[in-house]
Amino acid sequence: MILPTFIILTVLWYLPMIRGLIIAFQHYNMFNLSDTSFSGFANFAAVILDPNVSFIGVLVNTFIWVFASLVLQFGLGFSLALLMRQRFRGRGIYSGFVFYSWALSGFAIGLVWSWMFNGEFGVVNDLLMRSGVIHAKIPFLSNPHFAMMSVIIANVWYGIPFFAIMMLSALQSVPRELYESAQIDGAGKTRQLLSITIPYVMPVIVSTTLLRTIWIMNFPDIIYGMTDGGPVNTTTTLAIQMINKVFQDYNYGQGSAIGVIIMVILFTFAFFYLRILSRGEVQL
Amino acid sequence: MRHILWVILRFVLLAFFLLLAVLPLYWIIITSLKGNKDIYTYPLLYFPRHPTFKSYEALFSFAKFGLYFRNSIVLSLVSSAVAVLISLFSGFGLSRLRKRNARNRVLLSLYFTQMVPGFVLMIPLFTMLTYIRLTDNLVTLAVVYVSMMLAFSTIMAKSFFDRVPVSLEEAAVIDGCSLPQALFRVVFPVTLPGIAAIFSFCFVNIWNELFIAVMLISTNGKMTVPVALNSFISKAGISWDTLSAGIVVALLPTMIIFGIGQRYIVAGLTEGSVKG
Repeated sequence: MILPTFIILTVLWYLPMIRGLIIAFQHYNMFNLSDTSFSGFANFAAVILDPNVSFIGVLVNTFIWVFASLVLQFGLGFSLALLMRQRFRGRGIYSGFVFYSWALSGFAIGLVWSWMFNGEFGVVNDLLMRSGVIHAKIPFLSNPHFAMMSVIIANVWYGIPFFAIMMLSALQSVPRELYESAQIDGAGKTRQLLSITIPYVMPVIVSTTLLRTIWIMNFPDIIYGMTDGGPVNTTTTLAIQMINKVFQDYNYGQGSAIGVIIMVILFTFAFFYLRILSRGEVQL
Repeated sequence: MRHILWVILRFVLLAFFLLLAVLPLYWIIITSLKGNKDIYTYPLLYFPRHPTFKSYEALFSFAKFGLYFRNSIVLSLVSSAVAVLISLFSGFGLSRLRKRNARNRVLLSLYFTQMVPGFVLMIPLFTMLTYIRLTDNLVTLAVVYVSMMLAFSTIMAKSFFDRVPVSLEEAAVIDGCSLPQALFRVVFPVTLPGIAAIFSFCFVNIWNELFIAVMLISTNGKMTVPVALNSFISKAGISWDTLSAGIVVALLPTMIIFGIGQRYIVAGLTEGSVKG
């Protein structure tokens, strides 16, 4: 029964993955295919010591991108879930509208938001100016100081539904009796939130944040659609760098090397994350 | 009194979220309905002066978007259907597997595939496929997409089947069905919402996938929607009229499918991860 799945997965997934690891250690350049000799760590060194793209810079970008996006998405998503917890009229339709951003392709979202952040004709600029917050238009996507912020905003917009949906279901599974007895004991709303709700939904929080972190790191679609790593590499994350290596430089060896680096980071992160945060079982 | 304040606050916040969610969509739709003149004017028009479908006409005629749309639809439908079918079998098998250790190990390996960046595989996959000359082929892309979706689909399917009592198929067998019959006539119909959920999930993800499609498709006529959108961006700048029309068209199927399947997807994703 399960066999077909496994065969397919093995061929189309496990094998390539191992091959990918190997390629990371080879000279693999589309312009010189005859030479696929082993290059040891040369690819890794080339990526880390690249004079054009600061590796530390990329790491920092990646970190900011993932961390800021995650915290904001989770915070807002959770808040939305809390707001939607009680039934209200039209909640079904409301959820359809407020959750749809999750269904869109990251690339399209990048495009839409790049238009919204447009220096000349962007909605963001317009609204900010009309409300008096700023007095001159800001070229968000070509200004190194604002580019990362803009990309993060788009990502947060995209990711709120995921957390809202997951947390909403989690919230709805908390048994009412707990709240009732807490209320009898005199606990106010905040206390209830902190002492009952959050511990109860902790497993969901852990698994969703971990999953989302991995997805944020691995899907540069939004950045690609908005800035493609610019301006001046201020929004270049590891994933974007990898895309560029593959699609622009055609250097598969270095591209794979970056991929391996990403994997290592993710595995280490997942390992420590689960260790620190899971008290008791983490339900898979 | 305090209660009313809370209600108002809640309403305001909910409205805020709604506005935030809808604004980009509204803006891109409006942009697609403006002619080029109205797009590049300042002050911005929040409603087109002369709404026109010109951008859409251009999109389908000279940009040949209809072809790409058709490619994507067929590709997404077929790949999703195949993925759903296979995952139903493996999910069922996994759910009914009696030895817990084996089951957990299988589950873990499936989760593992979700964690690795998709494009670590992209490169070796590409080289492997080039070697056997199967690139630039929509069928190959379909197969790759199926494998991409299989792991998560199987996980979802398993959690759905976990909720169907074993007695159901046992009763069917006792009544004279062979196992495949029992599956198709009794078990699968019960999990119809689950099937809808898995299908929607696969469809949306396949439809939106960009990088693997870009990598594997080189002829113009075989491009999928995301790839086509990508090609509208040239070094000379972006023509927002055609592009916005393209984006709107690209968004439609997923929004429809998501709108219908949303309820089921939510149920599916949360069955396994929330206690009680």
